Amino acid sequence: MREAYIVQSVRTPGCKQKRGQFKETRPEELLSFIMKAAVERTDGLKPENIEDVMCGCAFPEGEQGLNIGRIASKMAGFPDSVSGATVNRFCASGLEAIALASARVQMGWSEITMGAGVESMTFVPMGGNVPRPHPEYSATNPEMYISMGITAENVANRYNISREDQDKFASASQAKAAKAAKEGLFTEIVPTPAYKYVIQPDGTYKKDEFIVSLDDGIRESTPEGLGKLRAVFAANGSVTAGNSSQTTDGAAATIIASKAKCDELGLKPIAKLVAYASVGCKSDEMGVGPRYAIPKVLEVAGIKIEDIDIFEINEAFASQALYCIRELGLGESMDKINIHGGAIALGHPLGCTGAKLTATCLANLKEVNGKYGIVSMCIGGGMGAAAIFERL
Amino acid sequence: MSRKIRKAAVIGSGIMGGGIAALLAGAGVNVLLLDIVPFDLKDEEKNDPAARNRIVKTGLDAALASSPSLFMTKKDASLIEIGNLDDDFEKLGECDWICEVVVENLKIKQDLFKKVEAIRKPGAIVTSNTSGIPLKDICQELGDDFRQHFMGTHFFNPVRYMHLLELIPGAETLPEVLDFMAAFGEKQLGKGIVWAKDTPNFVGNRIGIQGIGAVMNAMLEDGLTIPEVDALFGPALGRPKTAIFKTSDLVGLDTMCHVAKNSYDLCPDDEQRGAFVVPDFVNKMVEQKLLGNKTRGGFYKTDLTPEWKKIRKVINPTTLEYEELNRPTFPCLDEAKKKATLPEKIKCVLTGDDKGAKFAWKMAANSFQYAAHRVPEISDTIIEIDNAMKWGYNFEMGPFELWDTYGVPEAVERMKTEGLEVPENVMAMLNAGHTSFYKLENGINYFYDFASQSYKTVPAGEDMVSLGAARGNNKVVLSNSSASLIDIEDGVFCIEFHTKMNAINAEIVDSIDEALTYVDKNGIGLVIGNQAGGMPGAFSAGADLAMISKMAHEKKYTEIDEFLQRAQGGIQRAKYSPFPVVAAPYGMTLGGGCETCLGADRIVAHAELYMGLVEIGVGLLPAGGGCLNIWKRFIDAMPAGVAKDTDLAKLFIPAFMNVAMAKVSMSAAQARSNGFLSATDRIVFNRDNQVGEAKKEVLRMVDNAYAPPAKKPVRVMGNAAQGMINAEIYNMLNGKFMSEHDAFLAKRIAFVMSGGDVNKNSEVPEETILKLEREAFIDFTREEKTIARIDHMLKTGKPLRN
Repeated sequence: MREAYIVQSVRTPGCKQKRGQFKETRPEELLSFIMKAAVERTDGLKPENIEDVMCGCAFPEGEQGLNIGRIASKMAGFPDSVSGATVNRFCASGLEAIALASARVQMGWSEITMGAGVESMTFVPMGGNVPRPHPEYSATNPEMYISMGITAENVANRYNISREDQDKFASASQAKAAKAAKEGLFTEIVPTPAYKYVIQPDGTYKKDEFIVSLDDGIRESTPEGLGKLRAVFAANGSVTAGNSSQTTDGAAATIIASKAKCDELGLKPIAKLVAYASVGCKSDEMGVGPRYAIPKVLEVAGIKIEDIDIFEINEAFASQALYCIRELGLGESMDKINIHGGAIALGHPLGCTGAKLTATCLANLKEVNGKYGIVSMCIGGGMGAAAIFERL
Repeated sequence: MSRKIRKAAVIGSGIMGGGIAALLAGAGVNVLLLDIVPFDLKDEEKNDPAARNRIVKTGLDAALASSPSLFMTKKDASLIEIGNLDDDFEKLGECDWICEVVVENLKIKQDLFKKVEAIRKPGAIVTSNTSGIPLKDICQELGDDFRQHFMGTHFFNPVRYMHLLELIPGAETLPEVLDFMAAFGEKQLGKGIVWAKDTPNFVGNRIGIQGIGAVMNAMLEDGLTIPEVDALFGPALGRPKTAIFKTSDLVGLDTMCHVAKNSYDLCPDDEQRGAFVVPDFVNKMVEQKLLGNKTRGGFYKTDLTPEWKKIRKVINPTTLEYEELNRPTFPCLDEAKKKATLPEKIKCVLTGDDKGAKFAWKMAANSFQYAAHRVPEISDTIIEIDNAMKWGYNFEMGPFELWDTYGVPEAVERMKTEGLEVPENVMAMLNAGHTSFYKLENGINYFYDFASQSYKTVPAGEDMVSLGAARGNNKVVLSNSSASLIDIEDGVFCIEFHTKMNAINAEIVDSIDEALTYVDKNGIGLVIGNQAGGMPGAFSAGADLAMISKMAHEKKYTEIDEFLQRAQGGIQRAKYSPFPVVAAPYGMTLGGGCETCLGADRIVAHAELYMGLVEIGVGLLPAGGGCLNIWKRFIDAMPAGVAKDTDLAKLFIPAFMNVAMAKVSMSAAQARSNGFLSATDRIVFNRDNQVGEAKKEVLRMVDNAYAPPAKKPVRVMGNAAQGMINAEIYNMLNGKFMSEHDAFLAKRIAFVMSGGDVNKNSEVPEETILKLEREAFIDFTREEKTIARIDHMLKTGKPLRN
């Protein structure tokens, strides 16, 4: 197999669904901007060098439909020759896209590809615009359509993840994110243009553009403060809005090139994808996914967990993230996990998340001068995915 | 006359001001709500508009947060603009009616009106909601034009729910202004108008507080207890359950004492002035801030045990300690419980010979005397006094009606025997051979007018239809023990239910069918309405549950099916009959009562409408066409041809939730936003006018060349809905937000409402859904948990969650 190098990995800020800075900015614009920015930030690379775009999206319909992977590359000003596809593995879509894009280069089928992710949970709600569970299958197997919040409750109940621990975990995530934002450590973010429609003195509305530079969902809070929130998914439950990931809008892009192309165009490799794995598990406790996916990908790569310097384990819910961390024996390694906070503070834009966490993981590896990083997440329907990146 | 209320101002944002503003907004009037700038603003706040409006904002927020809500729907608040008396005073110049509701202080009111006089637009009406200060004192310094447009408008708390509006003409108020405000208050605001004279505390509170004070004092003299008094002066005498002391807790002891003191100070010649001196122990309670519900303790108090069990306690007047409450009774009350009608109950209580009965009689005689002496001092007629007590204090009968019920000659005889004074005007009436204050002759209600010493017609608005009067005038054309068909003139008939809570039984189902046949042959249209009492009262609380329970226990499924078929048949027949059928729901309109309305050609609803399909609470589903017709109200709201390709989930979910969550509206406006009322259905604010307005609606529809709706298949969401609901219910169940039985019921309801086993966006005949309704209903009655729910409801009146 050939070497496939990551030469760029960036993301937009993550902004709160419906209330955040991107609430009136369509997903195509978030995605096309970050794709274009990725190319522009890569010395020696031109849009026409890219052969294909794989774009992760968990609900590829409505504004995200009609193959947003292709539409966004055209909107980014890429030439007709750049092809594009939309990839869906729910919350691992972005990671899946990067894996597919890397594999294409490794196989020698492409020279330069892009793996991206996008989700505007504002424009296309979780569950999609037109949810249609199968009438008969849903009668016998309703767990296939279970709400994510209930799965988080199930994990908390089955594996004794206390409310207190969830709230402590959530509070820590917020604190890490706030600190990182304050110290300007989110180097993977590209300030992103957004717009909103503003009423004018004459009563008509006009599109007003502005730049968004920071994740807007960070809220510092104490475990005691979070402890006052009510459970939202179950009566007397433990999963609250405060210890769950935020619903978020955002996009991210990673560029992968073959060694030959790197040499030819003078592109500077920053990392490579070492291995990628996905696993299936019970749908009613989908949150356990990383606990199985991470060992599997380590085995595939032949790397020990102790060798990993940075973990980006998606915080879909504090209950499942904590469970996975404990089961993986990483309870003492919190200084390596989500060092700048996770989705509880920074948001979880579903299909974008894998691409977003890749950008964050590579930035954080650089910050700590580490070698190996893992990106992992649980996936609706009962799955987990994990990828190992090596910093070069 | 082109007088209109384009915009009204309410000055003062307390509980009354906020309530008046909410009512006006509910009636669609733009409102300017003003209050003072806080006295204690910090320097940096002095130019901050939000800080300057803090008091009025707090007032409006309190009205919005009130429970039961002062607003018909919270959206009405968008019609209310808030401001303060310093920065926004000149906006009063835009208002056609300025209603003052500020603190009860003569000087403050005088100063305010002086400023209002300078700014009010020509012709604008200015009123005071003062409950005690004489109007003549308030306006004595003001100019002629102001005084010609000035009067009292006295609302009762809570404004939305209390029917009474006392109008107090000033000495110089123009008749045109009085007429306008009466019509506006009656029609737009739905209030019952009582004309009061400019005497202290006007009519309702003058009579009401005398009654309360007299009873409190006599209780101590005669050695009765607080619970004993409240047991006597409750529903058995046609009064609210809160009787004397609980009503005081509700109003607030401080307010009650203030009104009593006002009467005492300003009515030095009142022959019952002593009643305005409240007993010492009440004054002590006020000093100790035991003011009633607002301080969580008044005459009564509810404590919680460590196990969260409620313990009701009552104060001991001697020790001012709270003691555990035992529900006392008297033989006369036990006897009254067995009687069916209110007049029978009243007679039981007032003519009994136990201690309680004697006390009740003594106080009744006292109230008879007091009321008779007040005409013409506080009002010209007995009607004003009776109405004020019915509408402002929720009595079923005012003092004169109560006196009639006892029998005027009999009461007078007893009063004489017991050495009680008999008012001269009443003696004169009896001596002239008139033995009652009211009489009904040839469908016309008369009252005895003391001034002319003759009977006069009880005034009624042109729009009013009195079913009681029509019944007295032999206008009943069909009748049985559950329902009557009444001729309300002009070819229009009204089918009136008169079962307990107007529950729908087999007899009513048959009556509807017979009524339709009768009207088809003899009339042009039908109103489904009734004028049962109560606040809010019940148009119909649903199907007769005892009947369903019996059939379910006896497993008479064929009979259930037959009953449902007949009920559905009647509702379908009403819809497709060649004449308009208009339903006139008010108050509780639940289950089968709601289904009856949903099937009608049009609804003319009272503003206070608590409408919902609540069957799931007793383990059932609407099977009188309710599932069909609530869905039709959603799907039919779309323009023709649109439904075919629409994502019907957007319609299905709210329609389904109405049934699966047993959603009940808290007003007619909310029933409209819940989808129960359609765009063509009307809302009437005054319940007294409702049947009359429904009749007018029938006449209008006939005049507009009425044709019945064409019968066409119904577009349904089919199995696409069922998959969606299966998944959602699984989540609710796992979240423990519903029980297994709830989930079972809800899934089946979704099956019925989506048309059964059919592809998405299919068209099915109405009969398909009706059949699915019946099948599901019968299957539900086979369930033990459903039977348990029904029996629990019959036994306790509360739903069982199993």
